[in-house]
Amino acid sequence: MWRFDDRFLTKLEYLRVVSRRAFAGRDRADRLSRKRGRGLEFADYRAYAHGDDIRHIDWKAYKRLNRLLLRLFDEEQDLAIYLFVDASASMADHGKFDQARRIAAALCYIGLVHLDRITILPFGSRLLPETVPGRGRARIVPVFTALDRLKPHGGTDLVQSFRQFAARARQRGLAVVISDFLDPAGFEAGLRMLASTRHDVCAVHVVSERDGQVDAAGNVRVVDVETNESRSVEITPGLAAAYARAWQEHAADVEAFCRRYRIAYVRATAEEPFEDVMLRTFREGGLVA
Amino acid sequence: MRFGALAAWQGWLFIATAVVAAIAVFRIKVRPARFDVPSMAIWRKVLDEPRARSWWDRIRRAVSLALTALIALVLALAAVRPTPGAAGADDGRILLVLDTSWSMSARTSGGATRWQKAVAEARAVAAAAAGQELLLATTADGLVEGPTTDAALIDTTLSRLAPGGTEALAWPRVDDVRATHFFTDGAVPRSLDPGVIVHSVFEPAPNVAVTGFVARPSTSTTAASEAFLEVANFAPAAQQVRIRVVRGTAIVTERDVQIGAGDAWRQVLTLDQTGGPRLGVHVSAPRNAVDVDDDAVAWLAAAEPIAVTVVSDAPEPLERLLRQDANVHSTFVRPAAYRPGEADVLVFDRWVPVERPARPMLCIAPPPVAWLGRAGAEESAPKWVASTDHPVLDGVDPFSLEIARVRSYQSPALSAVALSARGTPIVSVLDSAESRAVVLGFGIADSNIAATPAFPVLMGNALEWLAHPASGEPRTPGPIALSPSVTRITGPDGASLPLVHAGDRVLANLIAPGLYSIDAAGSRRVVGVNVGQPEIANVMRTSLPAAGTPLSVRLSARPWWAYAALAALALLAIEWITWQRRITV
Repeated sequence: MWRFDDRFLTKLEYLRVVSRRAFAGRDRADRLSRKRGRGLEFADYRAYAHGDDIRHIDWKAYKRLNRLLLRLFDEEQDLAIYLFVDASASMADHGKFDQARRIAAALCYIGLVHLDRITILPFGSRLLPETVPGRGRARIVPVFTALDRLKPHGGTDLVQSFRQFAARARQRGLAVVISDFLDPAGFEAGLRMLASTRHDVCAVHVVSERDGQVDAAGNVRVVDVETNESRSVEITPGLAAAYARAWQEHAADVEAFCRRYRIAYVRATAEEPFEDVMLRTFREGGLVA
Repeated sequence: MRFGALAAWQGWLFIATAVVAAIAVFRIKVRPARFDVPSMAIWRKVLDEPRARSWWDRIRRAVSLALTALIALVLALAAVRPTPGAAGADDGRILLVLDTSWSMSARTSGGATRWQKAVAEARAVAAAAAGQELLLATTADGLVEGPTTDAALIDTTLSRLAPGGTEALAWPRVDDVRATHFFTDGAVPRSLDPGVIVHSVFEPAPNVAVTGFVARPSTSTTAASEAFLEVANFAPAAQQVRIRVVRGTAIVTERDVQIGAGDAWRQVLTLDQTGGPRLGVHVSAPRNAVDVDDDAVAWLAAAEPIAVTVVSDAPEPLERLLRQDANVHSTFVRPAAYRPGEADVLVFDRWVPVERPARPMLCIAPPPVAWLGRAGAEESAPKWVASTDHPVLDGVDPFSLEIARVRSYQSPALSAVALSARGTPIVSVLDSAESRAVVLGFGIADSNIAATPAFPVLMGNALEWLAHPASGEPRTPGPIALSPSVTRITGPDGASLPLVHAGDRVLANLIAPGLYSIDAAGSRRVVGVNVGQPEIANVMRTSLPAAGTPLSVRLSARPWWAYAALAALALLAIEWITWQRRITV
């Protein structure tokens, strides 16, 4: 259902995942890193020191200045991209989970095309088994399979999930959280923790236009699909309006929180055509370029 | 407090049960439907927010409960119809009698009719007598409702009644009546008991009416028929009256005539042979209080000649007689050539068929046959000494008759209407639902009847009686007694009237004015029933002693429980709309 056709994949190949910070990579790739090395992009000069590769001495500068200067280049390396996919039960409604999987798959494909190091980390009330597809676009197929196997269930615990993520030494990189951020304990602590791990964090807020609507009237038993907590409520037009306002406030809170903690924020609507999400919304949000 | 259809304790119990049941139903906790939400956190935030529960949200459940209880209360009140007053007080039956004569339909100066005023007054009396047993009667139908303590029942029956014009044979009599209220305009004089409380709805009203309209064969040689018309102006001043007479759909005459106060305009209209038998007249005038007497109808039987088939070997005397009668279309056949047909009347002269014909018949000296009865003794030179007042013998002079011999027929169905001195039937009639016949016990050749004045009279009477079963025009609305051969009466609306067989008569009630078709054993007569009579149409006068004080009653008076029912409906509508919009619970 959420797999892509060749035409769209071709469009994705022209995109690249943008990290606002440069991280040292592990392998050579086509992304500039903080590391000076044998890249193609001239970065700076420094004085020659014993042991430096004499092939990088700028002999023209020596002729002018009578000093041995070494040309430094930015080394192009890969970027570690961590794609957190919310697989909690709250994502099941209104096509949000499918949209989240599509986004993860698309970002993964873009990363694979550019030889980035992708890790897909589904999470709910804890971190679920991660998927590391490897490098190269051909590895997208196992990604599709892994995402296809995911079923939304259980609760959401961002703190526990990100704590598990941080507990293991990982290469610094871009952490993209694809979620509706409906954590019963609140989304703030979890995002704050992830931001503190020195990764470049990006929040992809997957929402549905129907999230803010109440498709019921009269006396109902409102049941939280994640916690099974329930309350008897009589839904009136006033209450429905109040709920719509509260939901809008929640969405605004997530965005404001991300701005405050310098977390990139992109809102993806489940009803929006996916091509628009990738080619317009994410571009405008600075997640891809 | 009294309750219309229930005892006091039953009424209170009903009201309490209805209210408690409504509250109980309201409070039933229906298992709410499950509504899955992605996050309760947002809902908790909404529900805990004070703004989400406005003052209306906080009280609307109580308001809905109160509204539900109120609806149940009002509906229960509308159902049990309570009225103020202690139950059991002033016990006794109250009889309400309404005058249903046509004069009650007269419009008064206020626009309402006398009937509407009478009904309103009767409603007021019924409402004032709530809790007591009420009876409702009319001068036409006698007792029509009650005894009942349910004023609503009386009210409903009053709404159903209308002036009918007919008059019951006797004043309604009910036992244990404490008071009798009579609502009348006094147009028809009645002898009332001293205790009857008369509520007069009389108010002088000018009126124009057709008081006479009769059609009959003409006595002149220039016209086939004639109609007598009388139009009266019962108004305090002369006025111009437009009169229109129609025959079928063709207008016979239409003219304006000036009729003086209390005068009548009379005219005989000559009618030719062409045209249909249906005659109608309509009058209109500026001051005309009663509508029902503005029209009258008549049936011109002469426009439909009687088809007579004479079966005889020697028809000359009959042929000479019948050929001269324009109202008879005669056909003569030999017995051997006789075939059953559609003639109005069959005349069998000294011969009858073996099978009984389905049409009315005149049998002259018939031979013995099974369906007519056994042949009895034959009497020579009988003397006609006894006659009944049967229409067949109307105007027949028996004294000039000389009969050589007469034969009697022994049959229980035959009734002798003329007898000889020795008791031998000379003329008999058969009048049953299966067959109608006139039997002459003597032949034309066995007497000198062909040369006497009795011959055309007897033949004319016999043919008329056989072809047209009923007589007695002109008629007014009311009961009619007919011969047992009548099988159906069709009213002006085309519907058959119910017939009541009482002994040797058939009774029917001709209520509405118009043309009625009376069918009897193959024969048919159409009679016109008209309202116009001077004693009814003259609505300027009354027989009541204290006339001239019109009632001032509220014509729109309705019991309060009717408004309660309307209020309940309105509350239900409000509750439904607000519930649909989730304004109320």
